[in-house]
Amino acid sequence: MNQLHDAFTLFLSLLVEAMPFLLLGVLLSSSLLFLISEKQLIAKLPKNPILGSLAGSCIGFLFPVCECGNVPVARRLLLSRVPPSVAISFLLAAPTINPIVIWSTWIAFGDRPNIVIFRVLFSGAIATIVGCVFSIQSDTRFLLQTSFAKRLQPVVSVTSNKSPLLQSGTFLLGAGKSIPFDDSLSREIKSDKIRKSQSKWQLFFTNLLAEFSELGGMLVFGSAIAATIQVFVPREIILSLGQDTITSILAMMLLAAVVSICSTVDSFFALSFAATFTSGSLLAFLVFGPTIDIKSVGLMASIFKPKIIIYIFTLVAQLTFIFTLTYSYFF
Amino acid sequence: MRSSSVQNRKKNLFPWLEGLSLLAWGVLLLKYSFTGQYKLLIHPNYFSLVLGSGIVLLVLGIVKIKSILNHRQPNNSEHISLFPPGLGNSLLLIVAIAGLLIPPKVLTSQTAIKRGVGDLPLTTIQPQAFRTASKPEERSLIEWIRTINAYPEPDAYSGQPAKITGFVLHLSELPDDYIMLSRFVITCCAVDAYPIGIPVKLDTNRSNYPVDSWLTIEGMAIAETLPVKDRIETNTITEKRSVAIKAQAIKTIPTPADPYSYR
Repeated sequence: MNQLHDAFTLFLSLLVEAMPFLLLGVLLSSSLLFLISEKQLIAKLPKNPILGSLAGSCIGFLFPVCECGNVPVARRLLLSRVPPSVAISFLLAAPTINPIVIWSTWIAFGDRPNIVIFRVLFSGAIATIVGCVFSIQSDTRFLLQTSFAKRLQPVVSVTSNKSPLLQSGTFLLGAGKSIPFDDSLSREIKSDKIRKSQSKWQLFFTNLLAEFSELGGMLVFGSAIAATIQVFVPREIILSLGQDTITSILAMMLLAAVVSICSTVDSFFALSFAATFTSGSLLAFLVFGPTIDIKSVGLMASIFKPKIIIYIFTLVAQLTFIFTLTYSYFF
Repeated sequence: MRSSSVQNRKKNLFPWLEGLSLLAWGVLLLKYSFTGQYKLLIHPNYFSLVLGSGIVLLVLGIVKIKSILNHRQPNNSEHISLFPPGLGNSLLLIVAIAGLLIPPKVLTSQTAIKRGVGDLPLTTIQPQAFRTASKPEERSLIEWIRTINAYPEPDAYSGQPAKITGFVLHLSELPDDYIMLSRFVITCCAVDAYPIGIPVKLDTNRSNYPVDSWLTIEGMAIAETLPVKDRIETNTITEKRSVAIKAQAIKTIPTPADPYSYR
């Protein structure tokens, strides 16, 4: 009973700590509805796969959300015909490379600026590399989960050299050209309607509430797991996993995947291990945690095929390991 | 027909859940801010963040509930929901109510032992400014630890007067007339609370001072060779010369309102 009360206290402590950051993130991402038009953003994206991936990993600066928040944004990007490579680099980089996370990392590790700088550098590099790898596959249908790909299909299956007369599906005729009658159209009509019938403030408000409740729910889950592990698994067990440079990196990566705390607050969590783990392994936690964890794999399954998630997972894990090992060799 | 009416009712329930969970979280955060309970959860540096979020959430909740009462229900079709509708809000609401009913608890010796009490927990963070000016009897527990960390020569402290406050911890490896006077140090929130402690030599058996009771001890620093548990391989115990406090006056005090030390 005592332990349960302890666990509840830690759970609350995680939530009270994370809530202001979550609120800040949601406020910012909702205000982007005013400030940035998705269409303009996409028109400006470079076509080259490497530059595209690089750009994708920097979009995070415009959508300051943690890993639970960026999956909906990535879906929105994909539905707006952003190439999957860009969306993947966004998905991997955005949780780390955004102002709020950099700020909170700075608060936690201000006395060790190395960690803050390399966290950003490594995450950016990993996201760009993985994005490039996936840009080789040009057919999105191999990457995306079937039901999600269906929403894109009318566009995916139309190749430019085909005569518009030979396309299957339903079309609307208007202004001398045929418009495919599919999801995208209904979406545009709907959002047009919304824009007309509601003021922008109302859009802001509803988006704010929807994101807050969804991400808040996720936060409750994550904190519950983290608090349970803290109380019921003695720290010695985790400590004994990581004794030398290599195993400590692996132990911290495992911890990051299991604990699934949002990237906005994970640096504070990492701080509790600062006394017992090497900088290299803390970096591994901070780089790997935001990209892949149990909670975000669930969210990613709503976009990608399971096989693709395993590929991404493996690539990110290996890259994190190599980068942080190199770091601990040099510093 | 019936199922559709049930669904309708469900649909009407979700906005209420949303409004109430916002309201409950606002109230909870404000309650923590005003009762001072936030000190048990996070570092006081974040007080303004907690207070601010509490106010924002409260306002959002009120606006939401007002809009429900005015029957202005905007359709939210932009958002792609990943949770079954209402689940996120129900969870948030349940947790907020539980938080309002169950007060946070001060971490106890059990947690301290699990996390491993050390006399050298702050070494990996860059050492703090070494304040030689502070009089030994005015040093708090954490200041003692810091000073010893900066200059770890036990004999240098022998004879210095000490007055420290902390809770009692019985460590099995220490002799029967020793207690560990401990305190948790918080860098960010209770999750990273780190126990520190200094051994105190008593005139009597330690069973007179039960675990978790809070004491203010006046005494004198001595250098003693004491058994110390290895932090990682907990089965190996090594003898180490360390600073201890020889107790001269012991006063039992109630648990302080801010039981943690902050970094």
